[in-house]
Amino acid sequence: MRNMNLAKIWIIARREYWINVRRPGFLILTLMVPALGAVALFIGTFFSGQATDFLQNIFVPGSQVTGIVDRFGQFTPILPEYQEDFVLFDNESAGREAVMNDEIRRLLVIPPDYLETGTVTVITSEGALSVTELEDSPHLRGFFVDHLLRDFSDETLRARLRDPVDPVVIQIGAEEEPQGGMVGMVLGFVVPYMLSILLIMTVFVSSGYLLNSVSEEKTSRVIEIILSSVTAQELLAGKVIGLGALGLTQMAFWLTTAGGLAGSAVGLLGVAIPLLSRPEVFLLAIVYYVLGFLVYAVLMGSVGALGADKQEAQQLAGIFSFMAAIPFFFVAVVFTSPGAPLIRVLSWIPLTAPTMMMLRIPQSQVPAVDIIGSIVVLLVTIPGILWLGGKLFRMGLLMYGKRPSVPEIWRQLRQA
Amino acid sequence: MTGDVVLEVRDLVKRYDSFTAVDHLSFAVHQGEVFGLLGPNGAGKTTTIRILMDIFKADEGEVTLLGELPGAVRTRTGYLPEERGLYRDQGVLDVLVYLAQLKGIPKQQGVQQAMYWLKKVELQDWAKKKVKDLSRGMQQKVQFVASLVHDPELLILDEPFQGLDPVNVELIKSLIRELQAAGKTIVLSAHQMNLVEALCDRIVLINRGQAVLYGLLEEIKRQYSPKAVHLRTPVELIEPLPGVVMMEQRDGVYILEMGERSPQDLLQFLVGNHVPVESFEVATLPLQDIFIRVVQGAAAGHNQTEKAGVERGEVRL
Repeated sequence: MRNMNLAKIWIIARREYWINVRRPGFLILTLMVPALGAVALFIGTFFSGQATDFLQNIFVPGSQVTGIVDRFGQFTPILPEYQEDFVLFDNESAGREAVMNDEIRRLLVIPPDYLETGTVTVITSEGALSVTELEDSPHLRGFFVDHLLRDFSDETLRARLRDPVDPVVIQIGAEEEPQGGMVGMVLGFVVPYMLSILLIMTVFVSSGYLLNSVSEEKTSRVIEIILSSVTAQELLAGKVIGLGALGLTQMAFWLTTAGGLAGSAVGLLGVAIPLLSRPEVFLLAIVYYVLGFLVYAVLMGSVGALGADKQEAQQLAGIFSFMAAIPFFFVAVVFTSPGAPLIRVLSWIPLTAPTMMMLRIPQSQVPAVDIIGSIVVLLVTIPGILWLGGKLFRMGLLMYGKRPSVPEIWRQLRQA
Repeated sequence: MTGDVVLEVRDLVKRYDSFTAVDHLSFAVHQGEVFGLLGPNGAGKTTTIRILMDIFKADEGEVTLLGELPGAVRTRTGYLPEERGLYRDQGVLDVLVYLAQLKGIPKQQGVQQAMYWLKKVELQDWAKKKVKDLSRGMQQKVQFVASLVHDPELLILDEPFQGLDPVNVELIKSLIRELQAAGKTIVLSAHQMNLVEALCDRIVLINRGQAVLYGLLEEIKRQYSPKAVHLRTPVELIEPLPGVVMMEQRDGVYILEMGERSPQDLLQFLVGNHVPVESFEVATLPLQDIFIRVVQGAAAGHNQTEKAGVERGEVRL
């Protein structure tokens, strides 16, 4: 492969970026996804009961209160810190009436044998979903623990009983200090998932633009003029970089708005916490992200060029989206047995390595040989893919109106 | 008028499976000339041009452009492909500047050169319009500009007159002549033989991937001349005349078929004998007729005779 002219690649990349970033289609899609996200969030919130709470808070004051009929005895009187949200009723019928009059949201009847059975009768006019929410409520749990142990003066023990487990995971063979709680969760789950999904989404989005751009140059017949000025490899590299940047812009916008919408900025946590606590995880994720993007985008762009039209190109390119997604099928194995042979093999195959390694690296026991090996494999593969992709790309671009057969592709690859 | 070899093709071969698209093709183009690359459809012209532009790789043979291998001189060559188009949703000037930039021209200079050429093809007022708003003929002219906006030394034009009306054909013709006068070398592939005759100094005629005619256009025409003289005179001619084997009068013009002696001998004789000559013209076959004769001859399996002509025509290679 001849040396590529970086100045030309830069010109192509810049043009691809600026032309596409101003397209109405791009702007509409970029803005539409957060809007849909907002709708989805609202619907999700609504179904999880929070929207009901919200509406009730506004329109039905006092309806958040839970009524208690204490036949067990330990809940009378209600501790001062719970008096705002819980109110005692002498008998069930008075409580029922309060529920029917919307004076209280629900009534909990605690039977005399509560200690042995744990059974609590919930009387409510809401659906079954709200009861599920009740069961998971830390506030209700605190209410029960604090009243059951009201005569017990050890506040520390009470707090522990309210929140008994904050897991600290020590993995066998790990050199690092154990990570626990939120940091461990973010490192072990959120970061790999976020980055892998980000990679897949960026590849999907960018390759869509790449296909558009290639199809346009092919159908408008401008391609031959371009190929007389730059090599197919330079054109492909320029497109991949420019449209990759475009995809990243879109993803960055979506993530920022998602963070804003979610309020808790999970996206920011996913980046900031590992960066502060384990920078190597973050660094490796970036390395795999860039390498993975190059592999998939080059392959999709070049194979996409073989399609006679945009639709056909998308079908062809879909093969690589599928390959990039294969590690997600084994995500459970990655989290339970990260050293399984299947997982290790997929880490060494260039087409699955980037996503697989991104899922693996936050798990601290990834052997160095897998990390170095997969990076080397990718580094060696990329020039090869670019070279091969350039050939396919050139061949595909000059075949107007028909898709070559597999033997034809093989023959052309030898001859091109 | 012409100088050093700027494009040389030696024994070029390109095969697609069992089909040989280009079969040991050789020719050379000299600095400052307009060279015709001719042939019927499917003769191998586009494949040859694509190899010259480093879009295809040759199976065998050597190609040098401006003393370098194909691909090493992209910035010094211009190309107007037969299969061509432009970015339809973009401004004319933007497209031209982008293409100039890909040829290594800085943006500002690209703008200046694009505007200069748009003015030349009378499209300066359309610079800011989108390509899709232009008529087909206008787009053709923009494509022509795109091939030379970076001021190339060697220009390869594949069917530059396609889709143009007679006025624009004349415009492009005059621009080609202007480029030649400025020392540029032009390889022209066209099916309009009258235009090739008007513009080209030398040609190569390819058929089935092989060169079947190659050399100076004048020499080729002489070679295929019917060896006749058209003479207009107010007096009646009396035979015998030197070198004339047959005489015929048609519409007041004598058609004199020449034998071994040259038309110059006949003219000398007429002047020496005070025969008033109103017009004296050595008859030639139009290039179109030569083209058809050679291609049809080859199809009929008589290409051996024509190849002998090629060998005679191989000058200055």
